[in-house]
Amino acid sequence: MTFWQVVQHSWGPLMDGLQVTIQLTLLSIVFGLALGLILALGKVYGLKPIRWFCTAFIEIIRGTPLLVQIFIFYFGLPPYGIRLSPLEAAVLAFSVNSGAYQAEYLRGAIQSIPSGQMQAALSMGMTRWQGIISIIMPQALRRVIPPWTNEFIYLLKYTSLAYIIGTQELMAQARFVASRNYEYFHTYLFAALIYLVVVLVFSEMFSWLERRVKIPGFEYHK
Amino acid sequence: MLGLGLGLAVAIPISFLQIFAPQPFRLLASAYERVLRSIPLLVTLFLLFYGLPSFGIRLAPFTAAVIGVGLRSSAYQSQIFRGAILSISENQFRAALAMGMNKIKAFRHIVMPQALRLAIPPWTNELTIVLKDTSMAFALGVVELVRQGRYIIVATREPLLIYLTIAAIYLILTLLSNNTLGRLEKRLRIPGIGVEERAR
Amino acid sequence: MNKEKGSVLRIEDLHKSFGDNHVLRGVSLEIKRGETKILIGPSGTGKSTLLTCINMLTPPDSGKIWLLNDEITASRKVNLLRQKIGFVFQDFSLFNHLTALGNVSIGLTKVKGMDRKKAREKAMEELKQVGLGDKASSYPAQLSGGQKQRVAIARALAMDPQLILFDEPTSALDPELIGEVLTVMKKLANQGMTMLVVSHEMGFARSVADEVIFMEGGIIVEQGPPAQLFSNPRVERTGEFLSRLSSLFGEEDEK
Repeated sequence: MTFWQVVQHSWGPLMDGLQVTIQLTLLSIVFGLALGLILALGKVYGLKPIRWFCTAFIEIIRGTPLLVQIFIFYFGLPPYGIRLSPLEAAVLAFSVNSGAYQAEYLRGAIQSIPSGQMQAALSMGMTRWQGIISIIMPQALRRVIPPWTNEFIYLLKYTSLAYIIGTQELMAQARFVASRNYEYFHTYLFAALIYLVVVLVFSEMFSWLERRVKIPGFEYHK
Repeated sequence: MLGLGLGLAVAIPISFLQIFAPQPFRLLASAYERVLRSIPLLVTLFLLFYGLPSFGIRLAPFTAAVIGVGLRSSAYQSQIFRGAILSISENQFRAALAMGMNKIKAFRHIVMPQALRLAIPPWTNELTIVLKDTSMAFALGVVELVRQGRYIIVATREPLLIYLTIAAIYLILTLLSNNTLGRLEKRLRIPGIGVEERAR
Repeated sequence: MNKEKGSVLRIEDLHKSFGDNHVLRGVSLEIKRGETKILIGPSGTGKSTLLTCINMLTPPDSGKIWLLNDEITASRKVNLLRQKIGFVFQDFSLFNHLTALGNVSIGLTKVKGMDRKKAREKAMEELKQVGLGDKASSYPAQLSGGQKQRVAIARALAMDPQLILFDEPTSALDPELIGEVLTVMKKLANQGMTMLVVSHEMGFARSVADEVIFMEGGIIVEQGPPAQLFSNPRVERTGEFLSRLSSLFGEEDEK
């Protein structure tokens, strides 16, 4: 089979797989963002035990391979009566993993806001919480867009790992197709192209978003 | 480790190409970097291991894993070096030329010492990533930690415990390497040459 | 200290240490309604610390501070009292993600709970007051230092404070931009705003200050009307400091 024939044959299943991949990515990035926000705020503003806990959590997750985390959620929990579907286990593992990374990006962004901003907020009678919500976070979130974009792309690519526990995403579908048509190179090449296109499309989307919310004084250099 | 070494070996020429070479080479190098960075490592590994035999090239799982990890890492590392070199201001280079150094000397004695220091933190990071990504070689059947772990699990039926142990081993490895390079960074530190933000 | 009528701010025996560094060693002072007092002294003598203690950004170790009839140092609702004290920072500290108008109105909407439209109108008035009506939609990064500081003053004014504290408001500015900020401050003083200003602008002190306070080593060494303090200081250290200051800043016109 030529490459184009392979493309025609595998289009259907691979597109199904792509859908799951994107679903997996979006769910995980959103849950991860929620977790990341909590961890980052805890690490920067929390009391000592909370700060310590958040730091330890982030370091442990960042220090261990994603694959092992996926195995823990999928194979490690059933003996304790927690049985997750492959998709659930994958979303959970990716969310926790991404949450730890996003927390670090957010923390960096929060700490890059000069301390005078909080002082000014307090001095006009805001509470600390008001200062965080209406002064610090709007600035930190703008700063975090570029690393966050990277994180999104990473996550998108890492979701390919989910095939190992049987999540029917792009990688799993490619394997399935290849195992039937024996066109390993062409099928995986096609899968690679799909990833490439999706990554480029998302990168463009994010840089568009970045330009939209840009305000003077918050320009980034590449 | 081999993967990282290979990555380093490929990355340096690529970053040079991107900065100093004429336009077509520059484009080629950028494309190489962009493509490898956009494709999941797993797909690269599969292409190498399952795909290449179609052309009669049969790689051992370990070789395929080293090449795959190396290629991917080279794309990231070239970006690190490019970033580090470009972040050294043009004026440093011009000041060196003004002293009568030729371009190569200026690069060797002025730009490089500064750029290498800047590259250490992101490079440490890359090391950690490569370390963790070796776990993906599992998919090709390389007997590395995760696979070893699965053999034991079959025997012991204690999946959570075993996986947590594996996680702990990786954690110790990453902390250890971060620590060592962190110390290297401190030893080489010069006031005023800043540290870049850690990326994934 | 007697509780005289019309006193806006009263400080009694304020102490503050950072570790071994005893920055404030018993400072007492009083400012009455409509007064402008200028705080001078060598760097590191606790002038800025004194200001940040007044609005409790730096909690003092001991001593008492009253704003009108409320004891700030005993209050549990510090943020309510802070609304009544404007603070102008050396580095402006404008909120970088907000326009000039946004900077002035955010306190009104978020702290005072004013509705957006009213807040914008009031903020616009304050901006006009400092001569920046036309810069309402500019972001801080698009303003000059002098303009930033004027926005910061408008931001403080919008909260209708009882007192404004200025922490070296012109020392981060290029010389040619200092004038516009001082002009605004003079105008405020003449309108009867109560102000405590850390500043070494002697010309400004001479023309608007009711009293100049010389601080050194964490205590008030001398205070008095500018004319008396500048031309005829009672304490030797005051004279030394003033002469060093004027030689540093070139010819400060001695009347």
